[in-house]
Amino acid sequence: MAMKKFINDPSRLTEELLEGFALAHRDIVSVSPGRLVTRVQPKSPDKVALVTLGGAGHEPALSGFVGEGMLDISVVGDIFAAPGPPPVFEALKRADRPAGTLFVVLNHAGDVLSADMAMQMAEAEGLKVRKLLTHEDIAAGPDAPETDRRGLVGCIPLYKIAGAAAEAGRSLEEVHAIAERFNRNMATLAVAMKAATHPATGETLFALADDEMEIGMGQHGEAGTGPCKIRSADETAALMMERLLHAIGATKGDRLMVILNGAGATTLMELYIVLNGVKKYLDERGIEIVACRVGELLTVQEMAGFQMFAARMDDELLALWNAPCRTPSLTVA
Amino acid sequence: MSQTLSANDFIAMLRGAGATIREHAAELTRLDSLTGDGDHGTAMLRAMDAVEQAIAEHADAGPGTMLTKAGWAVMSAAGGSTGPLLGSFLMGMGATLTGNRPFDGPVVAAALRGGINQMHKQSKAQIGDRTMMDALLPAAAAMDAAAPDASPADLLKLAAAAAAAGAAATRGMHAKFGRARNLGDRVLGHADPGATSMALILAGFRDGVSPAAIGGALPVNRED
Repeated sequence: MAMKKFINDPSRLTEELLEGFALAHRDIVSVSPGRLVTRVQPKSPDKVALVTLGGAGHEPALSGFVGEGMLDISVVGDIFAAPGPPPVFEALKRADRPAGTLFVVLNHAGDVLSADMAMQMAEAEGLKVRKLLTHEDIAAGPDAPETDRRGLVGCIPLYKIAGAAAEAGRSLEEVHAIAERFNRNMATLAVAMKAATHPATGETLFALADDEMEIGMGQHGEAGTGPCKIRSADETAALMMERLLHAIGATKGDRLMVILNGAGATTLMELYIVLNGVKKYLDERGIEIVACRVGELLTVQEMAGFQMFAARMDDELLALWNAPCRTPSLTVA
Repeated sequence: MSQTLSANDFIAMLRGAGATIREHAAELTRLDSLTGDGDHGTAMLRAMDAVEQAIAEHADAGPGTMLTKAGWAVMSAAGGSTGPLLGSFLMGMGATLTGNRPFDGPVVAAALRGGINQMHKQSKAQIGDRTMMDALLPAAAAMDAAAPDASPADLLKLAAAAAAAGAAATRGMHAKFGRARNLGDRVLGHADPGATSMALILAGFRDGVSPAAIGGALPVNRED
């Protein structure tokens, strides 16, 4: 099957997309050798730095969130593939400062491998770094072992909250504790409707029949809980939110952050319609949405579907979420 | 047959690995597109290019340094899990080849075991998990069981044969790591691409010091 994408050399996808990204947002980010996306205006060294890593092909994630109030450095790998340990170690060295670095890692085999090896190098070098692993996917069940729970879109509000705490001058221990509190209170469930193609190989990532959707699909087409017939927006919203609420233990009176993250080919129209379904479901249970974001934050090429994210919020987390930031893909004035 | 290897033999081993990987890259990609996302062949080619570059830059520094530099270059060049794992294997080999000892059987076996241990430490996979370790751990066991006076070439033959058998056995295994983990029974009948790569690399090492073996049977039987 022919792949329909506007590309040039498939082996240079990452280089070319980073070049264009840096050009489009040259007032905020620049790209260094080793595919390190950094802030043009560095954060003061007496504030905690935030570093992350991940494969390309998920734009605007992850590098679209480098900038004031969020990430300091994002290390970019090949399409859907983690960067190797050397550039990650380079990023940790470059970020190193008296205030220390919070190193946010999404739970995917390659990312964890590179991150752990880079951490071993950082420790040998005496760098001040604390690692935080996001693993909020509940497709395998909320009680599944950590290794079976992938890091999905939840990293992005976590960058925002940890980044705001860092900008506020909180210590590494405090930034880590706040981020970890958010991490423990968040959950994501994905649903897929149509496959994406791998832009370098042209391979279809998975197969779904025309009348089917699959809840629990990962961001590389990893299998979920099995296909089912397509449901309405309201039914899908209720089905997914029920599992999310159970996972984070949210009950009447709780305040939630809700994110509907489009996978790449699902329209904003659909996402807004789904959001209404979420609101109805939560209203019936006396649960309030106090923070909300709808759009494409972490995509999977032209996959159709979305990730539904929910987190229990408290006053401090909410204030950090609402604090100013300026990045290519998220700005709070 | 010589009882020791020269520094040039290590270059020949690395080049042998490069040649074997290049010859079978399309096969690796095919296996990975059945069970992963289809980029393993490309990642291995990239890794072997990085190895060749490291040979060009560091051959004069001796096998230990050359292997360490090659491992670092592979980690930098190849993405996903392939680069870090293969890189740690080469760096683990390099770390044991220090000092001025002659590269005799025990030293060569220790170097391979150093590489295998280093990768094992990072990968944490065991036999039966359908990973690179399914080729490498049997290779280490085969060298452990070899006669104490086995030559380096004989040890590499034993290691390559055990790795090929180990890689072939992955056809009956479910995956416990990476993206293939979610495919369940769909991986059965196909060899793991990573285990196949490691079997090819050990076959390349063997061929590098025993050129007569080149052109012999494929280390991993092709599937129909």
